[in-house]
Amino acid sequence: MAFTSLTFVLLVLATVTLYYLLPRRFQWLLLLAASMVFYLSGGGRTVIWLLAVAAVTWGCGLALQRLNDQRKGADKARQNQLKAAKKRVAALGAVLCFGLLYAMKYWNFTLELLPTPVAARLPRWDFLMPLGLSFFTFQAVGYVVDVYRGKAAQNNPVKYLLFVSFFPQMIQGPIGRYDALAPQLLAPKELSWQNLQYGIQLAMWGYFKKLVIADRAAVLVDTVIRDNCPYGGAVIAVGIFFYCVQLYCDFSGGIDIARGVAQMLGITMAENFRRPLFATSLADYWRRWHISLGQWMRDYLFYPLSLSKPFGRLGKWARRHIGGLGGKIFATSLATFIIYLVIGVWHGSSLKYIVYGLWNGTIITSSLLLERRFQSWKDALHIDGGSLGWRIVMTVRTCFLVFLGRYLTRAPRLLTAGSLLVATFTRPVFSQLTDGTLLSLGLTGGDFLLLGLAAAVLVTVEFYQERGGHVRETLARQRPLVQWLAIVVPLLVIVAFGVFRTGYISSAFIYGQF
Amino acid sequence: MREQVISILSELCPGVDFEHETALIDDGLVDSLDIVSIVSELMDTFEVEISVEDLQPENFNSVDAIVKLIQAAQG
Repeated sequence: MAFTSLTFVLLVLATVTLYYLLPRRFQWLLLLAASMVFYLSGGGRTVIWLLAVAAVTWGCGLALQRLNDQRKGADKARQNQLKAAKKRVAALGAVLCFGLLYAMKYWNFTLELLPTPVAARLPRWDFLMPLGLSFFTFQAVGYVVDVYRGKAAQNNPVKYLLFVSFFPQMIQGPIGRYDALAPQLLAPKELSWQNLQYGIQLAMWGYFKKLVIADRAAVLVDTVIRDNCPYGGAVIAVGIFFYCVQLYCDFSGGIDIARGVAQMLGITMAENFRRPLFATSLADYWRRWHISLGQWMRDYLFYPLSLSKPFGRLGKWARRHIGGLGGKIFATSLATFIIYLVIGVWHGSSLKYIVYGLWNGTIITSSLLLERRFQSWKDALHIDGGSLGWRIVMTVRTCFLVFLGRYLTRAPRLLTAGSLLVATFTRPVFSQLTDGTLLSLGLTGGDFLLLGLAAAVLVTVEFYQERGGHVRETLARQRPLVQWLAIVVPLLVIVAFGVFRTGYISSAFIYGQF
Repeated sequence: MREQVISILSELCPGVDFEHETALIDDGLVDSLDIVSIVSELMDTFEVEISVEDLQPENFNSVDAIVKLIQAAQG
């Protein structure tokens, strides 16, 4: 069931209405029922994998809780025994869940990398990929690690299932934390008009981004960025630029819809975007883009890896043998590099995603290692790092790096990404920007104008937010007529230019495939 | 110990007022990369074990919180 389908809107309407009509103690059961309806309509029989991941991680959580309880008051030797047992349980949960993810998503890709005689002897596993597999697996494994670290487990398997399957987050996250999300899912809720109003506004903002901007930009992107692309480099660059716009509006729009629906139910989901357009470095960009994945990687992979004994030994070795800043941050930089490689691979089973991870990891690690050198250059050139001009330079530079990286994620394969990049810089054919070629890519002049206006609205709103402004709170302080217009006008725009446009249909969310 | 901690922090994250700041993590003055460097340095200097479980924002929001964490690790 797509967020952009009428069925989804009806499911949300029915769920929100019943949620506040039902006795409070049944509210969480309604959420679970709605989640199952949502999942079964989109994922069908693959629900079995969702249930399997939920069962494994719930069981591990319970076992870890028991071991945590036994550790209290135990002597040192017993504590060490129990700690080892905890490690085994947590590892079992992680291996089973990530093993499933690997089998579903990466096994066939592994076969492609193996020599043909070896691969021919191994079976291909052509499973139907469960909806939102990466997202619910990461969320469930995060829960296991949290309980391993001493947080309380959920004894009730049905309540736990709701945490793993809550329907707004199923397609593309955000990846929630148990202690932040589950208490909200299970708590009785009173109807709050403010939550309802803010939730509707956020969801509509998401639909505006998805239906009016992303799906329109996708038409040009799909026409230009493909194998055997017949266009010159300048048009290809326009295609990748449109893809950057499409990807941001598609993913953040979907998240806004998910968070908006949750807010209508009185539930605050994790933030997933903080205006990545204004990032001043690639590392800053990743702190603002897909925040819940970045935080997951930080807390469950980067910290354990960086503070592990092998990395500790490596850090000491580097400090002794390399010395200086490089020696000090060598181990941390290596861990950072690994994390970005994993993030790249998380996006999909293809060489292009591995190279995408390497691209991000290399730039971020290099800037860590060269930070002091850059600072000395800035000092020598008398550049004020806090000035607006410098911030703009850094933002434009970051956007350019992101833009280059997007060749990798959008091109159908690595070789195509390479040829598109080469064409961009060696065969631009600028005349195609003015000879009418742009109007032969599936979009009319009106579409370009609308995209320009919509993007201007988006940037203006984000600039306001970047300066500390709160759009919905500001609207709530206006007269009732203005508040109504703030709902009705965007709704009309979405309906006129998003739902009932001709020539193309709404596409699936890009991150839904991850 | 407090002065030693401030000295370590100032070397790793120059330009931050460690003497008075009480929201180092919450305000983003110290990020995840800094945390790892800080923890490695603290473990070396004070010969204590700081585990991943201790990496909670409240343990690193101020110098006093960090000192308390080290004292707890020293037993």
